[in-house]
Amino acid sequence: MKNRLKILRAERDWSQADLAQRLEVSRQSVNAIETGKFDPSLPLAFKLARLFGLRIEEIFEDERS
Amino acid sequence: MFCSIKSPAQRRFVRTCWLSAGLVVVFAFVAAAAFRLGHLKGLLAYPVAVLPALPILWVLIETGRYLAAEKDEFQRNLMVQCLLGGIGGTLAVTTVWGYMEDFARAPRLDLVWVYPIFWLFVGLAWPVVYRRYK
Repeated sequence: MKNRLKILRAERDWSQADLAQRLEVSRQSVNAIETGKFDPSLPLAFKLARLFGLRIEEIFEDERS
Repeated sequence: MFCSIKSPAQRRFVRTCWLSAGLVVVFAFVAAAAFRLGHLKGLLAYPVAVLPALPILWVLIETGRYLAAEKDEFQRNLMVQCLLGGIGGTLAVTTVWGYMEDFARAPRLDLVWVYPIFWLFVGLAWPVVYRRYK
């Protein structure tokens, strides 16, 4: 699933490791989500949304819509 | 098994695996010595024979506990895929070998090899699964 994680991270000058630490997941997990190879669960997507102060659909793009 | 330990749950699981591997060796020696020196027979033979399998059962339970305890869903997903690789590989090898035993008189595969074969396939699946997400 396409997402804006890389941009949002860059805006805050966070590395993947910084974001991983804030989400309490591995850096590898952040990388997999960021590159669209792994779709996060709803709880993790909400956690991401809370962290960036955005709605889920402002971070993740539904490719079918 | 893990390229690098990512979480406390993984650390605990890896520690359990190593401890269990050591216990299997120790218990296998104890059981072998007991049978060689004690000439165990009857009901007593069963619990002593089962002794080396106990740490293996422990790891199987701990694998389930690891999956429940792992908070990183991506790491959990990787582990599940590797376990599926292990299950698939083991079923494939043992099924093919079973038919070879039945029809082609292939040497008998002792059932104690099923567990090492399973982890061998889990180990082989690991780099394949990891590469998918690189």
